Amino acid sequence: MRGALARVGARPAEPARALAVLLLIAAPLHPSHALAHNQPYSFIDLRLDERGLQGSAAAHVVDLAHEMGAEAPDSLLRPEILDRYGARIETLLSGGFTIRVDGVGLRPRWTGIEAIPDRRNIVARFEAPWERIPGKLRLTCRLFLYDPQHITYLNVYEGGRLRHQDLLDRTRSEVDYFSGGGQGRLALIGTFVGEGIRHIFIGPDHMLFIVGLLLLGGKVRRLLKIVTAFTVAHSITLALAALGILNPSPRVIEPAIALTIACIGVENLLASRNGRDLRALIAFGFGLIHGFGFAGVLGELGLPAGARAWALFSFNGGVEAAQAVIVLSVTPLLALLRASSEAWSRRVVAMGSWCVILAGAIWFFQRMLSAS
Amino acid sequence: MTRTLRGWAIQGVALAAALCAAGRPGVAGAHEFWLSPSSYRQTKGDTLEIAAFVGTGFRGERCPYAATRTRSFELLGAKRLDLAPATVNGELVYARFIGADAGGSLAAYESGFTPLTLPAPDFDRYLALEGLALARAARAKLGAGAGEGRERYARCAKTWIAGTNRARALRAAGLTLEILPLSAPVEGAPLRVRVLFRKKPLAGALVRTWSAPLGHGFAPRSEAHRDSVGPVAEARSDPGGVATIPVSGAGEWLVGVVHMVPCREREVADWESYWASLTFVPEPRR
Repeated sequence: MRGALARVGARPAEPARALAVLLLIAAPLHPSHALAHNQPYSFIDLRLDERGLQGSAAAHVVDLAHEMGAEAPDSLLRPEILDRYGARIETLLSGGFTIRVDGVGLRPRWTGIEAIPDRRNIVARFEAPWERIPGKLRLTCRLFLYDPQHITYLNVYEGGRLRHQDLLDRTRSEVDYFSGGGQGRLALIGTFVGEGIRHIFIGPDHMLFIVGLLLLGGKVRRLLKIVTAFTVAHSITLALAALGILNPSPRVIEPAIALTIACIGVENLLASRNGRDLRALIAFGFGLIHGFGFAGVLGELGLPAGARAWALFSFNGGVEAAQAVIVLSVTPLLALLRASSEAWSRRVVAMGSWCVILAGAIWFFQRMLSAS
Repeated sequence: MTRTLRGWAIQGVALAAALCAAGRPGVAGAHEFWLSPSSYRQTKGDTLEIAAFVGTGFRGERCPYAATRTRSFELLGAKRLDLAPATVNGELVYARFIGADAGGSLAAYESGFTPLTLPAPDFDRYLALEGLALARAARAKLGAGAGEGRERYARCAKTWIAGTNRARALRAAGLTLEILPLSAPVEGAPLRVRVLFRKKPLAGALVRTWSAPLGHGFAPRSEAHRDSVGPVAEARSDPGGVATIPVSGAGEWLVGVVHMVPCREREVADWESYWASLTFVPEPRR
């Protein structure tokens, strides 16, 4: 049998090795040591104030022992053993997470380590000074990835008050915290406006839907009515879903969004024959469906507690800004075409509508297949 | 406490299963979860704490409070109190409260879902162990095509801190899966419980009970001084959702039920399971 601590340090002393062997033998005899580690978890606490960040990272001895190749986890709770291997534990923990403040990486200074025997935890403390409290703090956590069930409890305190509570795991390893002051509010608005814009431009489905709505053209007042109807509708459902009031499954919403795109193409073809323009009404109805789609993205980002309304408003603002860019780019081009040649304009409407129908139909079948 | 041959057999099988499960992190993720008060008796002015444990055989490890995974956490005593706003993420003590009277309190906790994926053999073994016939049959029909077990689980736990007002033990807390006692637990008397799923009686649910000696007074034994035990008894609920379980002696009791249904969000998981528990210390027979 090899002593657990003989494998922990680079050059362990003989007494430590002997102690480790003793601990290994003794461990199963004590009931608390025989307990399984059913709940794999670690903790990160961050305390922010005007002077800097004070933080701590706590890990279970079973996880630490696993990462260091030790076989007697509870021996790490002994002061003399912890003194010896403290630096290694700090290195292990510091490599498990990163902190960025306002986009710049933070290098915390590790200030001490201690054992919490009744929790079977080792806590390492760190600090980092700053000139003023940052607007946005991003924590990326990759602690103990060997265990797919591992979770990290995150608490962020600002000015002595607990402001943010979170859980990080394999599926969600990054979290943004926006501080309470004006700086934080600005950072939050910037982040969520940016995400709203990004979502419209990276997703061709929403773009195509808007282009589809604009293909038939019309006077500025009519176009404004159509775009406003779409905006009002998707804002309603975005808010309902983001606030957890109504949450239809993406399995339904995603194919439905594709179907709305195909339908708008069909409506364009019908309207160009019979002259009936129902686009404002359709934009409102279909906008309700698109809003749930936007909410799916917002849900993945996570609404910051205490600033939900700001985040929702900013994300919606970003979506509107991106829509405005599309409307302002496409409308003048179509108007120019219509002014130069009515025949060509009709051909573009017909061809464009067929393209919209085709794309919508393909996405619909793809999403139905993926949902089933 | 007298124990039948069947009782010993159940205990033996359960212990063997628990030992197998303990070595496997995936299966270990689906252990019983129960609330544990600092005392199972409430007197006016006493400060009581509620913690939670996760483990097998009524022996486990303290489970830190997860704020973002909590759906509800309430205390049903003289008044109905929402405990969630006073909790702190990561704390081992979920709540502290002062007994407003000697009537007793029922604490009820429900978590949100946690996803879990297990290799097919582990998942099938877990279904067999928990008596989850519906999921077993559905997977058996698919054969090898059933694939790995993709589930998400939620926990619905209650603890009864006894007092003078026994009626408080019988109130429904509104948990998704709930074990509702039909009478206050008394030593040596059978306890009838109704299993409710989404507020309706659940027929055919496997109800299991475990029992452990108490620590000092009415306090549960600390985790370091507990032994893993097998179920004392098990019973299936009847069409009215009612199961009768023997509360054969003093000590701390855990009643557990697991129910699994197809997941409504198939992109997230194939199955969703609900783990209900009720802990109490029965009153002595008068």
